[in-house]
Amino acid sequence: MGNQFLEVKDLEVVYTQNKKMVHAVNGVSFSLGKGKTLGIVGETGAGKTTISKAIMRILPDVGARITNGEIYLNGESVLDKSEEEMLDVRGKVVSMIFQDPMTALNPLMTVGDQILEVIELHNDCDKKEAVKLAGDMLEMVGIPRVRYKEYPHQFSGGMKQRVVIAMALACNPELLLADEPTTALDVTVQAQVLGLIRDLREKYDTALILITHDLGVVAQTCDEVAVIYAGQIVEYGTKEDLFDHPTHPYTLGLFGSLPGMAEGEKRLHSIVGLPPDPTNLPEGCKFWPRCPHMTEACKGEIPVKHLSETHYYRCLKDRNPDGTFEDQTKPGGNENG
Amino acid sequence: MGEHVPLLEVKNVKKYFKVSSGWNHAVDDVSFTLERGRTIGVVGESGCGKSTLGRIICRLLDATDGQVLLNGEDITHAKGAKLKKIHEKIQIVFQDPYSSLNPRLRIESTVMEPLKNSHRFTSAKAMNEEANKIMELVGIDERLRQSYPHELDGGRRQRVGIARALALNPDVIVCDEPVSALDVSVQAQILNLLMDLQEKMGSAYIFVTHDLGVVRHIANDIMVMYLGQAVEIAPTEVLFKRTLHPYTKALFSAIPSTNIHEPMQRIQLKGEITNPINPKPGCVRADKSSCSRCPSPAAASPPAASTPRKPASSRRCWKRWNRTTSCSAAAIKRSTIEKGREKRLWNWFMTRANTAF
Ligand SMILES: Nc1ncnc2c1ncn2[C@@H]1O[C@H](COP(=O)(O)OP(=O)(O)OP(=O)(O)O)[C@@H](O)[C@H]1O
Ligand SMILES: Nc1ncnc2c1ncn2[C@@H]1O[C@H](COP(=O)(O)OP(=O)(O)OP(=O)(O)O)[C@@H](O)[C@H]1O
Ligand SMILES: [Mg+2]
Ligand SMILES: [Mg+2]
Repeated sequence: MGNQFLEVKDLEVVYTQNKKMVHAVNGVSFSLGKGKTLGIVGETGAGKTTISKAIMRILPDVGARITNGEIYLNGESVLDKSEEEMLDVRGKVVSMIFQDPMTALNPLMTVGDQILEVIELHNDCDKKEAVKLAGDMLEMVGIPRVRYKEYPHQFSGGMKQRVVIAMALACNPELLLADEPTTALDVTVQAQVLGLIRDLREKYDTALILITHDLGVVAQTCDEVAVIYAGQIVEYGTKEDLFDHPTHPYTLGLFGSLPGMAEGEKRLHSIVGLPPDPTNLPEGCKFWPRCPHMTEACKGEIPVKHLSETHYYRCLKDRNPDGTFEDQTKPGGNENG
Repeated sequence: MGEHVPLLEVKNVKKYFKVSSGWNHAVDDVSFTLERGRTIGVVGESGCGKSTLGRIICRLLDATDGQVLLNGEDITHAKGAKLKKIHEKIQIVFQDPYSSLNPRLRIESTVMEPLKNSHRFTSAKAMNEEANKIMELVGIDERLRQSYPHELDGGRRQRVGIARALALNPDVIVCDEPVSALDVSVQAQILNLLMDLQEKMGSAYIFVTHDLGVVRHIANDIMVMYLGQAVEIAPTEVLFKRTLHPYTKALFSAIPSTNIHEPMQRIQLKGEITNPINPKPGCVRADKSSCSRCPSPAAASPPAASTPRKPASSRRCWKRWNRTTSCSAAAIKRSTIEKGREKRLWNWFMTRANTAF
């Protein structure tokens, strides 16, 4: 402990909405070393964006509160820093690719100049060099240099997203929080962008948190994976742990749709029910209302179980070596079509 | 009458944007037809003109050239009251669930807005009921109806966009990446919802997406766009069995594999980055030298087609509407793609499309 680049401990975040408490993050802990990539996967509303905003300290002033937990970057507590100190951290140490590219772009400034601004802020080079660099960044994300002088509204959705990525990469951060960086991109451009991010990691030893709902992207990019449900990590492990031995019933529901794992099965498993209401979360395990293995005991205290040094999950049930659960039901059991 | 009139007909539509460095050929001579109750999927590289095409069809943008016919009636230049009618009949779900919602309107008011504008409802109560029905349909919880867009996560915001589009029960809905921002299980629910509604109301969808699994599931036909042009149109099944255009192949090969033990074999797009500004004549892929089938620059010009080409069409690729006409691309052996991988991809699509939906 203590030598990890990023450490998050027992993080809890609550929003207030129409006088109700939205429990968005409920006790999340993880750590991440330099040069490593953590994938965070989970349903919409699971709290993924909220976690990364907490790390950046950019949760809205009004209506959002970190009620518990600690965040350490390079051994320094992020939550104890002043707003001025955070200005230095953001961009230089941590940078974020926002899920919503439009909030990150200035509509009145050409895209090239926006990248230029980031470069000039963080590098000591003359203007001409910086302009060239900004053009290089554009080309790196697959946008021709001649489009330097265009404005965000003249760009397509995916192109805006790529500009935001170029800006985040331009300042060579030590930790990159990428919130759904490739959702608006087609697979060919996505492959290009993921390649870029990988290069960056190798060159500068950048730590990366990749938030995504695309398991293919996780498989191609991440070292470790956290599966998050209703603001809690329900399963955590290396990519191999998760893809080869998914254990938590929710993970199984999520991963049950992987074609490689369901050889011969025509119809794949889908998770029944709706995402939970974060203003009114169930007692005990948050997943029990949708879980095929639910028992009364699930409404009580839920232990964290370690399957190996790297792999843990949060569930009452033990997994048998053959992949079945105590109660003999097959995980992700479903009728074949 | 006798003659069959399709619900929507798009004829040689073009859209050129003036930019500092010249003309951006965002949509360059695209034609297709769409029948009632059918779905056409539009896939293609980021920036290839999918959203622009959608906006032209909805009359949110004016076409530079070409026609859009709705029920045989030319709507390309409709104005005033007529345009308002068209906006009721053709709706759009926007790509970006963040900036497409008015941040100062509560969710309920956002959904109610089109109802109000249509003057279809005589009482506020009936309108309220209708709005609630729609929100229930797309799964917006009661507790969220008085919230503002910024208080919702990405998935729920997109549902609001869908509810707003569905409100008036339109003939045609342009769905611009409606599910890209959603996770798989919510994606499934929304797609099912869209398909249920289609069965019930017979509306037609133009479904823009970059997710081939999704498009396979929902579309009857697929149009592959590249640099503003439709490079391939085919029934979904046919396209997934046998992709002809080299771009389609590259597209299909770039889907991230979920097999962590097998490295991906991607067909890399080499050469210059695609640039729609002041394009050169010839195949749109020619200056990208990445096209594995382009033996020489000469082949960059479209092969002699059986029908005389109009000057405007000279930049098209060899192979477009009619999959039976020969094209120089099809003549070249398909061995450029490893057989096993193709089979695997095919299986992948099959399972992907069956996933959870
Ligand atoms: N400003 C806010 N005010 C009130 N509630 C909020 C606010 N921002 C987020 N929430 C709520 O907090 C929960 C977690 O949201 P978050 O954006 O972190 O989810 P997410 O996992 O990123 O989802 P997605 O995949 O859709 O982006 C959701 O229920 C959301 O409605
Ligand atoms: N209002 C505009 N002014 C100038 N150029 C524009 C405008 N809107 C779009 N473009 C340009 O037209 C081209 C096509 O953009 P469009 O938004 O249709 O792409 P797209 O296929 O939807 O891409 P994506 O998948 O990234 O959303 C792009 O080169 C874009 O920069
Ligand atoms: Mg999010
Ligand atoms: Mg678009």
